[in-house]
Parts: sequence; structure tokens; C-alpha cells
Amino acid sequence: MLFMHETHKVIGRHASAFEDLYRNEWMAALAQSSDARLVWYLNHAMGSGPAYQVVTITALSDGAAWEDLVRRMLRGDLSDLTSRLDAERYEVTGKLLTPVFWSAMQELDLAEVHTDGREHELSVYMQDTGWPNAPLDDYIELWNHDYWQFMRRIPPEKKLLDILACFQVAHGSGFRPEAILLQKIMNFSTLGHLLTSVEEYDPTTWPGTYMTKGLDLRDQWESKLLRTSNWSPIW
Amino acid sequence: MLFVHEVHKVVGKASARFEGAYRNGWMPTLAEGSDARLVWYFDLAHGSGLAYRVVTITAVRDGAAWARLAKRMASGDLQAWARDLDGLQHESVGRIMVPLEWSPSLGSLEDIPTDPTEHEPTMYMEDTMWPFPGKVQDYIQAAGDVYQQALSAEGSQVQMHIELALQSMPGAGRYPEVTLMQKLSSLPPLIRLLTHDIPAAVVQPGSWMHEALEFRDQWQSRLLRTAVWSPLQ
Repeated sequence: MLFMHETHKVIGRHASAFEDLYRNEWMAALAQSSDARLVWYLNHAMGSGPAYQVVTITALSDGAAWEDLVRRMLRGDLSDLTSRLDAERYEVTGKLLTPVFWSAMQELDLAEVHTDGREHELSVYMQDTGWPNAPLDDYIELWNHDYWQFMRRIPPEKKLLDILACFQVAHGSGFRPEAILLQKIMNFSTLGHLLTSVEEYDPTTWPGTYMTKGLDLRDQWESKLLRTSNWSPIW
Repeated sequence: MLFVHEVHKVVGKASARFEGAYRNGWMPTLAEGSDARLVWYFDLAHGSGLAYRVVTITAVRDGAAWARLAKRMASGDLQAWARDLDGLQHESVGRIMVPLEWSPSLGSLEDIPTDPTEHEPTMYMEDTMWPFPGKVQDYIQAAGDVYQQALSAEGSQVQMHIELALQSMPGAGRYPEVTLMQKLSSLPPLIRLLTHDIPAAVVQPGSWMHEALEFRDQWQSRLLRTAVWSPLQ
């Protein structure tokens, strides 16, 4: 399974029109086939980063499904919709993601993904993108052994977040080395504590911790706080 | 056919080993199957931009073939090769592209050489354009009708021709984005282009330079030199 991850730099005055195109046309167009579904529509939370940025994630059954979708967009029945989306944004950057071996999310049953735009409460995700200065495989293993295995054992009532998926960029479709964590925020007061507390990761104070050990492999990553729309198929 | 275009930021001290990994690893390994072939291995000419940058272009038969290749890289027989390459490059940026309707064809995958026969290096000007929102189709059409024809006209400012014209595929890079791989057939016109102001006639109303501003005003040129063993020169 592939996940087409796109970051859209939307024209501010056209933000509603852009969202409507995704909700009323893109989601519905994909629903006509069995091998692609829009799964997330996420707004980058204003106040935490760039303005008017939207992240969409479209799930595809395989590489042939992605190529079929692209050909529909470039020269087929979706070319008009693609042109109208282009007119509502400055640019879009995409990458194709595959779940890493330990990711909780591997396959999605596309037939089970909602396509009717039903409304629901909002969720907030923390999307972490990391760029190691070591082999990518070592970084993915660090996340497995020192982060995922630890976080999954935290009792639900104490959890800041739930790691839904971990991806790597499929060959040639973006940056390497890069890996991505998609994490649902479970506790907003803990998030507030995280944002307002002074970090205490001095290696001499916290030897062997994930934060300290992780510095052997990387010291650059980016967190994005992404809020689902109230109709996002998954939230 | 699809094309995986990668720009590699190579570790300077490891540049020879990086090239060896492509010449002795990637190219022959792909040649064992029928899904993909290395097409070009380019060095960005020192003195014209960033140092230790390599551009590789790999052709893959279709989306399914690309997905199989990606899986081999992530968890199959090419995982060790990819891991080794991680130590030879700081990073790479890839995108997957499809030929424009009017692009010249490179022929079939089977036509691409896989033996490291050495040739004289060839210079390319790689131009990447970012059309304005909603203008990509107009730009592609005009580039085929006007620009490509102008390049082949007698008296062209730069003696080069388009070997391959590509656009990015949504979901695998920035979109819209158009890249032209242009082979230089003579160096003096390039030097003249670099060292002289653009003639007024070239930018007056009615010219490509003037009229194409309706579709885009941002692009980037790279001067690339093929490795002597690059499958295509």
C-alpha cells in the first residue's frame, strides 16, 4: 500500500474553495474506483507554523493505482479538477510513503474508508519528520526500539499521543533519508505541558534516554501540528 | 515509461565510491531484470553551481515496476545497497516524472545500454520550470509549439536540442514542474550566452522569452556533464 502525502500552499482567499474541491469533488472522484481513497484532510494549525497550509493523504492500493490516478489527473477525467485545484494554491509538494516494518498501520481496507463527507469532531495530529545523518534503516530501528516500544506501553490515561503510523519515503519520490511519524494527540493538557516546559535533555543528566541516544543518529526534525477538517475520512 | 530523477548531495571524499556504486552496483543490478534501467549519470559541472552534486535518471517501465523497485530498496535485495549509499551521500531529492506528449522518445527500456562502455562526456542544460497556478497545460503546449521548434531553427542562440521533456507526477515531487533535458551540440554558443547580455530581439514582444512570461517566470538551469560510462550520452 502507498500513501500519497501532499503539502499544499493554499492561496489564503481561496482556502474555502480549495477545501470544497477536495470534499465535494476529489473525495467523490476517488470513490468511483476501488484502489484509491482520500484518507486525511489536515489543516496546519495556525499559530504553530506556516499559514494556509493543508496536508492531504491519499491511500493507494499499489504502484499501478498511483500511476492510473496520475494519468487521470494529467490527461484524463481528473485533469479539469486538477487545473482548478492548481488555481486555488501556489504549489503542492508530494511524496509517496510506505509503512516501515513496525508501523501499526500497514494496510487500509479502502472499502471501509468513508467517502460521504460525514461530519465529526476535530482531531489534532503531531506529524514528525526526521532526517538522520546515519543510514535510514538505523533511524527507523531507533524509532522502533527506543520510541514506539516505549510509547505503546504508556497507559491510555497518561498518553500524550498515539503513534498511528510510521512511514519512509518510497524510492525516488522525495527526500532521502527521511522518515515520518503520524501521531494523534490524545491529551491536550499534556501537549500544553510539552510546549511550555523547558527541555531537560542534558546527556549527563539523562544518559541513555531516547532524546539523548537519538542525537547519535539525528538532530534535525520538524513537528507539525495538523488538525483534521470536520469531514476528513479519518480523524 | 516513467523516469526517477534524483539529485544527490554527495560526500566529497566519497565521490568516487558513490560513482562506483552506480556504475558497478545500480546499473548492472537493474540490467538483470526488465523493470528499470539507469539512463543517465551526470555530474553538475563544478564552477556552475553547487559542488559534489550528481543527477541520476532511472527509467522504469510503469508504476507497478517502480513500486517493485521501491520495495527492493526498502526491504529487499537492494536494501543493503541503499544503506551503503546513505553513507556516501548527505541526502538525495527524488521525483518521478512522465514524458510530455511532444517529448522525443528514448526508445524502449531494452534499447538502453547496460555495459559501461566509455565515451566522450556530453554537456546538457537541464531546465526546470514552475508554471503559474493553472497554467501548466498552456505552458507545455507553448513549449512544444514554439520553444522546441525555435531550438531547432537555424540561428538559434544556443545549439542544443531536447532529448527528453518531462513533467512531475503528482504525489512524487513538486507539482506542476517541467524539466527539459537539453543536449548541447556546441560549446561556443553556450559561452556566448553566459558572457553576453541577452539580445533585445530575443526578449521583444512576440518572442518566446517575452510571451512565455504569461505562463512562468521562474526556472532553474543546471549544466550537467555525463560520466564517461553513462548509459546514454
